[in-house]
Amino acid sequence: MSETVLSVEDVRKDFPITRGVLERLRGRPQRAVHALNGVSLEVKRGETLGIVGESGCGKSTLARCLVRLLDLDGGRIVHEGTDVSGLTGPDRRAFNRRVQMIFQDPYSSLNPRMSVRQILTEAMRVHDMRPAAEIPARIEELLDLVRLPAGSADKRPHEFSGGQRQRIGIARALCVEPEVLVADELVSALDVSVQAQVVNLLLELQERLHLTVVFVAHDLRLVRHISHRVAVMYLGKVVEVAEAEELFERPRHPYTQALLHAAPSLDPAQRTRAVAARGELPSPIDLPSGCLFRTRCPHAFDRCVVEEPALTPRGTGHVAACHIDAPVFEAS
Amino acid sequence: MSESAQPEAADAARRSVRLPRPGHLPLPFIGGALILGLSVFVAAFPGLFAPYDPLAFDYNAVLQGPSAAHPFGTDNFGRDVLSRVIHAYTIDMQIAIFATIFPFVFGTAVGALVGYAGGIAETIFGRVVDAVITFPFLVLVIAIVSVLGPGLGNMYIAVGLVGWVFYARITAAEVRVQKRLDYADAGRAMGYTHARIIFRHLLPNAITPAIVYWMTDMALAILLGSSLGYLGLGAQPPAAEWGVQIAEAKNFMSTAWWMGVFPGLAIVVTGLGFSLLGDGLAELLRTRR
Repeated sequence: MSETVLSVEDVRKDFPITRGVLERLRGRPQRAVHALNGVSLEVKRGETLGIVGESGCGKSTLARCLVRLLDLDGGRIVHEGTDVSGLTGPDRRAFNRRVQMIFQDPYSSLNPRMSVRQILTEAMRVHDMRPAAEIPARIEELLDLVRLPAGSADKRPHEFSGGQRQRIGIARALCVEPEVLVADELVSALDVSVQAQVVNLLLELQERLHLTVVFVAHDLRLVRHISHRVAVMYLGKVVEVAEAEELFERPRHPYTQALLHAAPSLDPAQRTRAVAARGELPSPIDLPSGCLFRTRCPHAFDRCVVEEPALTPRGTGHVAACHIDAPVFEAS
Repeated sequence: MSESAQPEAADAARRSVRLPRPGHLPLPFIGGALILGLSVFVAAFPGLFAPYDPLAFDYNAVLQGPSAAHPFGTDNFGRDVLSRVIHAYTIDMQIAIFATIFPFVFGTAVGALVGYAGGIAETIFGRVVDAVITFPFLVLVIAIVSVLGPGLGNMYIAVGLVGWVFYARITAAEVRVQKRLDYADAGRAMGYTHARIIFRHLLPNAITPAIVYWMTDMALAILLGSSLGYLGLGAQPPAAEWGVQIAEAKNFMSTAWWMGVFPGLAIVVTGLGFSLLGDGLAELLRTRR
């Protein structure tokens, strides 16, 4: 449980904004959306690591960087001692066999012209997973594993429901027998009634296949339910990491507290007036100086403007990036 | 178990091929396929249908109107117009295919690569296409044929030099859309090569508009072949070709309407066949999500 599988070290990712010809001629500097601003994180073997944050906080970008879908603009990602940030060709293929991704949109993530059999066969052939003769049997096994009805193999994606398509996506990721699954908003596009089924399937598979799961989501309750550890992201940075219960019971970063406050609760005793974050998310193009959260933080003081807080320990396995190290903030 | 294995396998095979039953085919597709199937058959075996030799002069039967002996009449050399229209199928169907097959294959391949690459490659490509498209198509083709010399072979070269840009532009636009979808990313996350992602994943989803345009283009190629034949730059007299026939008929338009009308009708019917087939294919190849 403690061995690190993937280690994210000060990863940066910018998306340049296209300038018009006129702007270029006028010498307007190249600007960029700063999606990841030095993310550091460790993924431990066998765990489910939840990554939460508002939309636009960079959690999907981080997920895509983890599977090498995006090139980094700084920092590195280390997989079992090897820097994978620059891998190409066969090396990258070998890495991706071990670290796979499940996508958010069950509709656009499957090639509409390929049957389930074709999708799975192609992946297994490219990665040389099984001799050709054993592939059909393996496909039945995989479909059974993700609980798709027998006879699904020769259907094409449009014949399935959203939940079933997500299972196909899981089967596709699993057919190369990876160790790490990165699930980007696995169920956010599904009906609530189906969400639980798919999530439970993932948990069950994780146990059976000893998978490491990076679960990116904005649904706090869901993340609390399934994660061992949770990382909170804000504006392209990790601001707090802790064991799931610890994080939800004793959040130490003001942003995490605001996030938890903002989540509606069904229990009247739990209901509080949201002290929460003030104002809007700052533009990821022009980031605030110092602490990225200071513009919305109810506790910000002068040091926050000039100095960016580092992730510092707040107890066992609990880190937070805040200059204030008090057990509980006054909700003023 | 062993009894049910057979039909199941057959069922699976049918499903993996996914040919709709004839009753489920779109009506335009059936119509277009019938017209073009017949046209191709006539083009392959014109001798079976033509009552006379298309090149044989008969000075005893010059400029005769439609009759039992000559259903489409005769021309100014006494040649049977029906036989000439039938034999022209051979040349005009060839024009439809040979003038468009290279632009289709080359254009879609270039379009797929450029659309996938994006960036500077696409910008440069866009300017090249703009430059080609700025010239009126027919004028450009006529200019190239004038340089190379008249004849069908040179016409194919001229059309090929110009025609591929349309396919490339259509395909590039479609690939640009497809490559942003998650299934393309899923392929990348599987570590697939760019070639595999472009040609096995993106192109099958992006090629439908190009195929539909191809059908229209074949009809346009026949019209272009006829135009060039009319101008004396395509098929050369005395060969039977619809455009050549219409060109020959222009001097007799008021006295022998049948010389030009029947080749013209053949062009219309064939063009209709291609248009219907194009519509039908668009329906048939529509992506279901």
